[in-house]
Amino acid sequence: MFGYIVIHKSELKIKDFEAYNAFYCGLCKTLKKRHGISGQATLNYDLTMVVLLLTGLYEPEISWGKTRCLAHPLGNHTTAVNVFSAYCADMNVLLADEKLKDDVADEKKLSAPLSHLILNRKARKVRALYPEKAAVITASLQELAAAEERGETNLDLVSGCFGKVLATVCCYKDDVWQEELNRFGFFLGKFIYLLDAYDDLSHDLKKGCYNPLIPLKDHEDFEERVYRILEMMMSEAARAFEILPIVTYSEILRNILYGGVWLKYFAKREKDQKTDDD
Amino acid sequence: MMTDPYKVLGVSPDASDEEIKKAYRKLCMKYHPDANVDNPNKAQAEEKFKEVQQAYEAIMKKDSAAFGNSGGGFGSYQGGYGNSGNGSYGGFGNFGGFGGFGGFGGFGGFNNAQQELPPELKAAANYIRNGYYQEALTALKGVEKKTAAWYYYSALANRGLGNNVTAKDHAEQAYRMEPHNFIYQNLYQQCQNGNTWYQTQSQPYRTARMGCNNVCLDSCLLTLACNLCCCGGGNYCCGRNY
Repeated sequence: MFGYIVIHKSELKIKDFEAYNAFYCGLCKTLKKRHGISGQATLNYDLTMVVLLLTGLYEPEISWGKTRCLAHPLGNHTTAVNVFSAYCADMNVLLADEKLKDDVADEKKLSAPLSHLILNRKARKVRALYPEKAAVITASLQELAAAEERGETNLDLVSGCFGKVLATVCCYKDDVWQEELNRFGFFLGKFIYLLDAYDDLSHDLKKGCYNPLIPLKDHEDFEERVYRILEMMMSEAARAFEILPIVTYSEILRNILYGGVWLKYFAKREKDQKTDDD
Repeated sequence: MMTDPYKVLGVSPDASDEEIKKAYRKLCMKYHPDANVDNPNKAQAEEKFKEVQQAYEAIMKKDSAAFGNSGGGFGSYQGGYGNSGNGSYGGFGNFGGFGGFGGFGGFGGFNNAQQELPPELKAAANYIRNGYYQEALTALKGVEKKTAAWYYYSALANRGLGNNVTAKDHAEQAYRMEPHNFIYQNLYQQCQNGNTWYQTQSQPYRTARMGCNNVCLDSCLLTLACNLCCCGGGNYCCGRNY
């Protein structure tokens, strides 16, 4: 379910793109420092967005630095690190660990048990740091697994489980912005879950796997319905975002929320249409 | 709040959101308790700080009613999480009402009709008015005949819980069953307002071609490179398969 919260690069100003990458590199650096190489492997763009969101809202002090990188050996890379890099690094490890737990249970990935062993130790430390959040995340994902197991068709119910997870991640602390951050994370989480289901639909149909969109598939206006549902989720998330008094990095965040999140959706539509044409 | 919130923030009533946010941040920094530790007037500063916060919320959240989503009343997620234990409606916390039912205006017109409502619907209406959406759904479960009114209250309750797919479907159902009912029409319209608003907001950020070629080619290469040097921890970056 990661990989949907990305920038629409061609619409972003260069200085914004550089800032975005700096936070991404900063997150990577923080993951390595706090959780070692196995932590670093959990790096993704999705939680980079959360770093930017919380940075824009709370405007903490940022440490700018430079680093070399094995993956990008040419030249130095600017890094931006702050308190939310550490927070998102921790959340990242927690989410990755939950995912691995799921993989081990499903026996899907052969490498899962070993990876899980390594990451689990790191995740345990994170759980001790954020016991309430970890409890909500674990319980929500368990609820989701159970719902999928029984073939739940209520889209709000299944997507809402993941919504709760992302809401918990986005709501850094209980303060005046708790409501908006929770709502933002909740509906963005629902969007991600349903877009992921849409992405996997043909595969799941073929393999007889669970997919909450299967019951809708045979409606003649299926594509339209799915698009409206996804748009409804993003509109709620975006509305919550616009209420937050974020000024710094707001254009990067808007680029993501109004543009970037749709890239994979449109890519899939294009691909499906090409397959239909062939 | 008696004072004009725009005056409190020092902006004109037709200020843009950006101007309002900047003004808010500037005043927050000035009156924040941490910035006024040595201030002999720190009690006044704290009062002013609260006033600034209230002014901001009054301005930024006033459109929520028209938009049709949450006003105040968001419960903590712990409380909300407990509610979803019953399984059938995955509610999460409380997404507040319609920014106050007074603003929505629907219940005023409904008062006479409410006399004729079965007790379960009356109970649901009361729960919804007070923000107890899970309880409203429980009350509605006991009803066998699903009238337009049933769908209407179900839509409101689901809306409050963040179940917007169900909310919209039920709002539509109520409207289709009684298309001349202005209140049902209004709710159905409200369920679609968000999409319209989002489309307008999105325009500057979309391009004609947002398909495959523009997508994360860079990030795919990045991922490959990352995975080459990481100990086979699995494909978490950019991976479609989470």
